[in-house]
Amino acid sequence: MRPLDLKLVRDLSRMKGQMIAVALVMACGLAVMVMARSLVLSLGGSIDEYYQAHRFAMVFSELKRAPNTLRTQLERIPGVAAVDTRITGALRLDLPAMKEPADGVIHSLPDDRPQQLNLLFLREGRLPEIGDRYEVVVSEAFARAHGFRPGDSVEAVIYGARERLHIVGVGLSPEFVYELQPGQMIPDPKRFGVFWMNERKLASAFDLSGAFNSVVVDIAPGANAQAVMAALDRLLLPYGGQVAYDRSGHVASKQIADEIRQLVQFSIAFPVLFLSVAAFMTSAALTRVIRLQREQIAQLKAFGYSSAAVGWHYLKFALVIVLLGSVLGSLLGLWMGQSMTEVYKRFFQLPGLPFRPDWLALALGFLGAAALSLLGVIGAVWQAVRLPPAEAMRPEPPAAFRASLFERLGLQRLASPTLRMALRNLERKPWQALFTVLGLTLATAIPILPGAMSDSIDYLMDFQWNQAQRQDVTLSLIEPGSASALSAIGQLPGVMHVEPFRSVPARLRFEHRERRVSLTGMGRDSQLGRVLDVQGRAVAMPLQGMLLSEKLADVLGVSPGDTVLVEVQEGRRPVLEVMVVGSITDFAGLGAYLDIDVLRRHMREGGTLSGAHLTVDKAYWDAFLAKVKEAPRIAGLSISANVRASFEETTGEMMGIMQGIYLLFAVIVACGVVYNGARIALSERSRELATLRVVGFTPREVTGVLLSELAMLTVLALPFGLYAGNQLTQLMVELSSTETVRFPLLFTTRTYASAVLVILLSSALSFIVIGRRIRQLDLLGVLKARD
Amino acid sequence: MSMTTPPLFQAHGLTKIYGAGESEVRALNGVDLELFAGELVVLLGASGSGKSTLLNILGGLDVPTEGSLHYAGEDLTHADEKRLTQYRRDSVGFIFQFYNLIPSLTARENVALITELAENPMSPEEALTMMGLGERLDNFPSQLSGGEQQRVAIARAIAKRPQVLLCDEPTGALDVKTGIAVLEAIEQVNRSTGALVVIITHNAVIASMADRVIRFSDGRVANIEQNSQRQPAAALSW
Repeated sequence: MRPLDLKLVRDLSRMKGQMIAVALVMACGLAVMVMARSLVLSLGGSIDEYYQAHRFAMVFSELKRAPNTLRTQLERIPGVAAVDTRITGALRLDLPAMKEPADGVIHSLPDDRPQQLNLLFLREGRLPEIGDRYEVVVSEAFARAHGFRPGDSVEAVIYGARERLHIVGVGLSPEFVYELQPGQMIPDPKRFGVFWMNERKLASAFDLSGAFNSVVVDIAPGANAQAVMAALDRLLLPYGGQVAYDRSGHVASKQIADEIRQLVQFSIAFPVLFLSVAAFMTSAALTRVIRLQREQIAQLKAFGYSSAAVGWHYLKFALVIVLLGSVLGSLLGLWMGQSMTEVYKRFFQLPGLPFRPDWLALALGFLGAAALSLLGVIGAVWQAVRLPPAEAMRPEPPAAFRASLFERLGLQRLASPTLRMALRNLERKPWQALFTVLGLTLATAIPILPGAMSDSIDYLMDFQWNQAQRQDVTLSLIEPGSASALSAIGQLPGVMHVEPFRSVPARLRFEHRERRVSLTGMGRDSQLGRVLDVQGRAVAMPLQGMLLSEKLADVLGVSPGDTVLVEVQEGRRPVLEVMVVGSITDFAGLGAYLDIDVLRRHMREGGTLSGAHLTVDKAYWDAFLAKVKEAPRIAGLSISANVRASFEETTGEMMGIMQGIYLLFAVIVACGVVYNGARIALSERSRELATLRVVGFTPREVTGVLLSELAMLTVLALPFGLYAGNQLTQLMVELSSTETVRFPLLFTTRTYASAVLVILLSSALSFIVIGRRIRQLDLLGVLKARD
Repeated sequence: MSMTTPPLFQAHGLTKIYGAGESEVRALNGVDLELFAGELVVLLGASGSGKSTLLNILGGLDVPTEGSLHYAGEDLTHADEKRLTQYRRDSVGFIFQFYNLIPSLTARENVALITELAENPMSPEEALTMMGLGERLDNFPSQLSGGEQQRVAIARAIAKRPQVLLCDEPTGALDVKTGIAVLEAIEQVNRSTGALVVIITHNAVIASMADRVIRFSDGRVANIEQNSQRQPAAALSW
């Protein structure tokens, strides 16, 4: 090894604490970047390949019933590359292991022609064959949740008829990468599954022989999707067609796209923050080293080393730190990415989700970190090498101080000499102080995020299940029912209170914006299924006009007073102009609400209902469920307690992981920044501190002198940190707010207090380490050395 | 100086060994010495002769490897770090070649830093005025000349009225004129406070202002010379 490199190794090993502190902060930023970019690559790559290989459709349309002969006409629409017509419907499953029924959707597989789109991926078993039995392929998530294998069978109610379904295969479809039951917030594979059956068999079950009720279309490259959808709508309208939608309106596809979009945002914001702090730390640490080695630099130059060689030598200090940070960050990032891939595997149903490390991101991260760090030290290096050797060999002139602003304001009597030293030091190096405060601000801000998220989820659960949806059970009917259906529901065992609702699919249009939503009619003074305002107060259904979820109002760009065009997609399909009279707060999906009787009048219906919210006497619970399992006209039931439990379980686990990671990051940044700052101060002022020790200050008092400065900066950073954490959380909540799911933003004293605690404890930890170094200070050596 | 009063320091067989084995260095090798309150002692000797080591041990900055040291009857040989800190705090004033002032504190505050710790100190103003710095109380070290900085250091050392003032090459970094002014200040402290003053120097001329001159060689006391008459510092020149 060349002597200069040997010097590099020895010098670095003397400052290994600082080197590790900086590298760890850097590693946090790079880890998030490597993790997020790798996940984008893994998830995005797998999903693209899956969509491609299994020919995920681009346009979707639901209708009432159309003859199979219409298919040829659909194929002739200009711009259509492929068409599949099919039958879809809901089914209810009676599983011996569960008291309550589970829900499912079932799709037909063509048996007289090859399937064109949304091809199944068979994990095991085979496709259904035509025969006497009802053979089905079941979705993998549901099969796994219940331990189903080919050869098993399950009892189901299809269109009111009880049938035994024989599982012959376990599979996946690009249509169901995210198996979310309509109306739910997160997937629950135990209570919702997807099934595929032969077309002819399913047609007879749904009474749709020779007909179809769903269309999926592939668009030719370069063709206009809007035109195709318009043509589709025109052709299907006579057959009860609902408006066609593309992948942006497809729940599963949208969910995964949202997830990828969030990862991309994440992969930029976090690394930039962390790498900036790390670059400042490198800069501060190395500037100090270069100052201390002023004479060595002069000597090296006197011996004949060029300025470039000496400059490069000092830049290598930064590079070694960056390299260390990059290696740690990459390892951590790859590990985190791999773990997150496993989590994703449970949320997203894909044939495979291999973890693909994004080496390019890793390389870019390294280069970015190196560039930022070099930028931070290049000034000090330049200053050092520019100095003529003779001048550099003389000690630096003594530091010039003056009275601090505090004292110039005439407040000096309030300050002890120790405090004055600290204040004057801070004022002499405002940049160093500023960056230390910035680093600590970041460290304080980070733990706010998981704290606020956890509070947010608590609030959401209370809002959703204690305030808004107070029913025990929600029943939905296969077909809209009449007043007699309502009384039948009321007569189920144990039912104490029934509130009917009527919901119809509708397209809402305002100016050029539109959304497909479910338009729900509710009783004016509902006690179970309620809509709430932002304060969580119940909002009564208006006599005229409708209420929109805030998000929907936002997406459509409407405010109270605006009139929205409502195209109902069911029954007599009225097209209405309805005034928006207010907005309501909800956290999942997009909803539009109006009075149930108003909706019925628009639909020209009597006392119809699509389903009902119920409270059930717990004493009759089992009897109630048993009866519901038997009832042919009930399409599905959703038990609030189960939904809540599964939401709690899923988010709870995620929150645990997130909290751990954020806490780790906060501790690393806080410890790193404080330790680095204290080490620099210690090295700059060792002579001063040794003097104090010699004249009789105890180690504790000397530590106080050194750390009062850092303590002041820590305290100064706290309010900024809390504010920044507030803003950061707000940003994260905005970024993660989608049309599918949103989170309320709220901050509690507990969140702020725990962030403050994290910072104070981390600082205290660094102070203890520094205090030990002060004890070991070589009093004589320091004093004998020339400044 | 009366040798009949009990000595302030009593050293017996004082030995300090740095390192071990091959690299063993005997910085002090069996020194027997008594130092008395009120006297001014100059330690002379070449580099490495052991005089600085002795000063450090007297000042409670270091402990001997062998032998014993008593201060005012108290055994300092086995004192722990806490006791040594207390000893330095209460009894010892230090003056170094490099003044070691706190750059972020003014002259007055540098002194106040010490007087805050002391039992019965002078006021910082009094100490600084004694050193002829009455006009420069609120100047920062960077605004003072080398001689002025050294005088602030002396004011800092004497303000707590120490029994012992230990000076390690106090004029080493100063020109003749300033050096003499600093020595006058030390002399004045010795006369007015009655503190034992020990000065380490390479400069043999300074020896003539001492009551006793102790020469060191190879970690031992080579000889001790009693001056019949102390020369005033003002009369020195080199």
